[in-house]
Amino acid sequence: MQLEKILTAGIGELDLCDIAVYREQGGYAQFERAVKELQPAAIVDIAAKSGLRGRGGAGFPTGRKWQFLPNNGRPRYMVCNCDEAEPGTFKDRMLLEYTPHQIIEGILIGTYAIGSRHAYMYIRGEFKRGYETFMKALEQARAADYVGERLFGSDYSVELTVHRGAGAYICGEETALLNSLEGKRGEPRLKPPFPAIKGLYGEPTVVNNVETLGYLPHILRRGPEWFAGVGTPKSTGYKIVSMSGHVQKPGNYEIPLGLPMRTLVYDIAGGLPPGRKFMGIQPGGGSSACLFEEHLDLGYDYEALAGAGSMLGSGAAVVFDDTTDFVKAAHSLVRFFAHESCGQCTPCREGGNWLEMTLERMLHGRGVESDVDMLVDVSHSMTGINLCPLGDSIEPFLASVVKRFPEQFYAYVRTPQTAVAV
Amino acid sequence: MTTQPSVKTVTVTVDGVSLSVPEGTLLVEAAKQIQEDIPVYCYHTKLGPAGLCRICLVEIEKMPKLQIACNTVVTDGMVVHTASDKTMEGRRAVLEFLLLNHPLDCPICDKGGECDLQDFSMAYGQGASRKVEAKVAKPKAVDLGPTIVLDEERCIVCQRCVRFDDIITQERSLVVKDRGHRDIIATSTEEPYVSDFSGNVTELCPVGALTSKTYRFKSRPWDLNRTKTTCTQCSVGCQLYVDERYGDVLRTMSVAEDETSDGWLCDRGRYNIGFYNDPQRIASPLLRRGDEWEQIGWDDAVALWARQIREARDTTGPESIGVIGGGRLLNEEAFLLQHLFRSLGVENLDWRAGRQTVATPVFSGTYEELEAAQTILVFGVPPSQTAPVMDLRIRKAVVQRGARLVTVGPHSSGSSVTETHVRRVADIPSDAFDAERIAVVFDGIDATPMRDLHERFAELKRAGKSLIGFIPGEQPNARGAEAMGMLPRDGGRGTREVFSAAKDGGIRVLSLFGVNPALRFADGALATAALERTPFIVLSELFLTDTARFASLVLPAHGPFERDGHVLDMTGRVQRLFAAHAAPGGALSDGEMLVALADALDIEIPSPSALTARARAPEKRAMPRGEIRAAAPGGEAALRVIIRSDIFAGGGTVYHDERLEELRPRPIATLHPRTAQALGVAAGDLVDVIAGDRALRGLIVRVADAASEGTIRVVDGLPGAPANVLFDGEEVQVTKLEPAAPLAAAGAVAG
Ligand SMILES: Cc1cc2nc3c(=O)[nH]c(=O)nc-3n(C[C@H](O)[C@H](O)[C@H](O)COP(=O)(O)O)c2cc1C
Ligand code: SF4
Ligand code: SF4
Ligand code: SF4
Ligand code: FES
Repeated sequence: MQLEKILTAGIGELDLCDIAVYREQGGYAQFERAVKELQPAAIVDIAAKSGLRGRGGAGFPTGRKWQFLPNNGRPRYMVCNCDEAEPGTFKDRMLLEYTPHQIIEGILIGTYAIGSRHAYMYIRGEFKRGYETFMKALEQARAADYVGERLFGSDYSVELTVHRGAGAYICGEETALLNSLEGKRGEPRLKPPFPAIKGLYGEPTVVNNVETLGYLPHILRRGPEWFAGVGTPKSTGYKIVSMSGHVQKPGNYEIPLGLPMRTLVYDIAGGLPPGRKFMGIQPGGGSSACLFEEHLDLGYDYEALAGAGSMLGSGAAVVFDDTTDFVKAAHSLVRFFAHESCGQCTPCREGGNWLEMTLERMLHGRGVESDVDMLVDVSHSMTGINLCPLGDSIEPFLASVVKRFPEQFYAYVRTPQTAVAV
Repeated sequence: MTTQPSVKTVTVTVDGVSLSVPEGTLLVEAAKQIQEDIPVYCYHTKLGPAGLCRICLVEIEKMPKLQIACNTVVTDGMVVHTASDKTMEGRRAVLEFLLLNHPLDCPICDKGGECDLQDFSMAYGQGASRKVEAKVAKPKAVDLGPTIVLDEERCIVCQRCVRFDDIITQERSLVVKDRGHRDIIATSTEEPYVSDFSGNVTELCPVGALTSKTYRFKSRPWDLNRTKTTCTQCSVGCQLYVDERYGDVLRTMSVAEDETSDGWLCDRGRYNIGFYNDPQRIASPLLRRGDEWEQIGWDDAVALWARQIREARDTTGPESIGVIGGGRLLNEEAFLLQHLFRSLGVENLDWRAGRQTVATPVFSGTYEELEAAQTILVFGVPPSQTAPVMDLRIRKAVVQRGARLVTVGPHSSGSSVTETHVRRVADIPSDAFDAERIAVVFDGIDATPMRDLHERFAELKRAGKSLIGFIPGEQPNARGAEAMGMLPRDGGRGTREVFSAAKDGGIRVLSLFGVNPALRFADGALATAALERTPFIVLSELFLTDTARFASLVLPAHGPFERDGHVLDMTGRVQRLFAAHAAPGGALSDGEMLVALADALDIEIPSPSALTARARAPEKRAMPRGEIRAAAPGGEAALRVIIRSDIFAGGGTVYHDERLEELRPRPIATLHPRTAQALGVAAGDLVDVIAGDRALRGLIVRVADAASEGTIRVVDGLPGAPANVLFDGEEVQVTKLEPAAPLAAAGAVAG
């Protein structure tokens, strides 16, 4: 199946890290046009009209997010979130390493649009190569006067500061990211106040994902109607999906939203390895619930996935075939979230670790029958009562696979015995 | 008539009860109006919401998820259920999570009986744990610093301690370390947790994770007898609870709703409680017999005292009698003291016995007003070391309200907030006076800057600005003593003149009340010479201090928590003291001593009720003459000495509190690195500081960037190293002791 490539156009064919190549493709023209011809408010309108929603996980409408900024005369900041660490997600990394100028242009347009003069790029600590690529691209952009003082003869000046994380998944959560940027402990802030009101250094701030910002030059070039015309009415435009797990062609695919999941799995990602049977798909990152055979004809979009009790999240789809041990799969995810809990909230800090230890005990053959119910019960108790969404990330997958494959869990505890500590 | 801007109220229904509260009120505060509070761990009224513990979850109609009451602003028409099934299930879950790794060593935990984890578990928790794995082990009995022990296993990571250290003291040494269920509380530097306010974290800690070394394993809360009284360790006047058992003061606690202290205590006020039953405390009147003390009865003691006074008055006249004291007495006692001696014609009455020369500011203000000031000018010794809890107000004003702090003189503030520090009055940035609300904090020692600024202040007043003054002095009730008349008038002599006269043999009987001029008087040489020449000195005290060496008769008095009566805090507010501890049988209160003396001298005194009325209605007094010292010789002094207060210095209650060993300042001389280099000394060296024939010996050199160049800073009020042999600001020489000498010198210091 042939897909139109937008953000991913040229990747693997052109050296888009070279500013000259990027410009040949029309690069930076939209930023220049924005500064020279468009009022910031007009760009906010365009973003709103396009229906673009945040690609970082929450799917919040981008234009609306920008409109929340108060007109209080204070400095404001644009922060690009490139901390990508959601299990299964690897799209931002690709953009960073192969098409950094597109990100820079997206950041610059977004920064201009919200009336800011200072943007921050927060890069996941492990992305060493991406960081270096990005820094080189930034130097080129600076040398070409896309970043700096009085751009294109206007009185608009903009600075772009790059910051590297230190390996904490939680720093991808926008307020933890802001704390980390400020040099504080990377833990989410209590909301309200939201970053739009009180963000970086206490000033109005927008945090946007790499992919979200990356679409801006394209939306400016081709018009909001073009973007809004793709996908479904509420899930407009394109989305990069990171396909992994038991598929023949794992990788990043840019699809129009609303594409049936069956097409995604079988046509685009090459289907399952020969002789394997489809058992489930986790469609939107580690914190999304598992979906099954009966869901495969649903469209891959925000509403359809939410309607099925899962979510699109960051667009990381993991496919499971009939060789999957769902107890181990659940254990692996629970361990991840327990390890990445910042520890501020009681339920997340304690509950994650408890579930991890329980699953570990089961895997060691020391589980008891009541453990299976307890997994569901405890993961449910810890959900919906935390400060940030990380604490709510364990239940969806765990509960969905226990419900679907109870026999796999009971298999680990089939011989009744009393629980023993590991 | 001015109308207040009307505060909109909103109506919220909590458990069926309709409550009207001002717009913007947090649900957790609004709900305090109903019977049962919403449980909290991380929330604290003074620290604000943090949203961490999640115990405060409540059900709010029209919201799908449970909400935390601590960060929910009530809105009109909101309907809240704090005891619904859903709410209870949320609490149950949070408590189950909290207890998963909690050691539950209640039987040996100091918090047992007043622990929020115990209480809420009983109220909302479930009986048994479903966890079968071993609990996470963390360090126990961590020695966090000189005052605090931390049990990491009991910690529920509510971060109240961390936030107190951040928001309230601004010192930021406590942090959360590591992540997830492995996180612990620690200091950011791995250095000990040292703060003059450390004890507050033990109260904020909702569990038994942070405990005071002084109180560990001492008691159960239900065995304590609690009395609310006023702290008289300094002139702030904090209210506190004194908890006592079987005649031992075991701990003190802050009073959350106290307007004076804002709910905090400093460590001096909190922890200096171990001296009450010290074996060295004087238990009966002592009469000097050569080098020995003889215990005598009260009747004999008072008779002797009265006889000496009568004889002196009848032979050499009332001007040969002197009285110093009042700053440590109750208002009632200070009034009685001056009344009694004035009845005898004695006018040599003064409360001043140290460096402080004045206690009553011209324009008084309240602590709330200090907090609202836009410019705060601090002159002289920083209040962080003389009135610590007041310094928290200053920090709050600076950090939370954007006030500007300007310190003037040789001392920088020693506070944790940003300040502008200038040496001379002339260098005060002139825009500091542009503010509408200006507060002046003056140590009450050298009034020169006040005189220099007199015109300026008058101008500001004329311009209609708010100008208020605070004098955080050395003695807790100096202001009360002034208001009660313990100042010389009608040709009487003040302390300095009394000492000058005494030095020449002009004073026959000197009665001293809770003062220690031998160690504390600004001119130590004069004080010593005066005390030596005075034939009969009576000293009312708790311990045999440096001054007792010169006394003929020492009378055992009541200590701070053994008093009933009134004092004035530095703002002029009347504060009430209630006795919380029984004084030793042989001791009398100063008031009782004075009543006995009046009786022996046939002097009529006011009735107790008249005294109380007087104590509660202090006279308003204009600023008495503060002393102006000769300006320190200008020009090119190579090295000047700066004498600095320390809250844990002194020869009295701290010196005799063995639990505070670690907190007592050592005889240290602080130098700037360049000054140290110029003098050829290094950190750890022992030095003598010499001025003419006077010397302060055996000080340990400390080198600090914060010290001013060309100065050597020494600590005031250390027995064995009395800084008052030197004059503050005078030129001194430093000699380094040879390596052989340190032992002997250190011995001298320790003695
Ligand atoms: C635990 C956690 C981790 C997150 N990690 C990321 C991330 O790596 N990258 C990202 O863009 N957003 C991440 N988010 C979402 C951000 O908080 C935020 O919603 C997003 O950056 C907003 O950008 P968008 O509106 O463009 O999606 C994370 C959220 C949570 C709760
Ligand atoms: S939910 Fe977990 S990760 Fe998020 S703030 Fe709370 S403890 Fe930290
Ligand atoms: S030590 Fe006490 S106050 Fe500090 S975080 Fe732990 S439980 Fe809270
Ligand atoms: S500030 Fe003063 S009054 Fe308050 S606790 Fe400390 S010593 Fe006592
Ligand atoms: S008191 Fe509300 S979350 Fe802790």
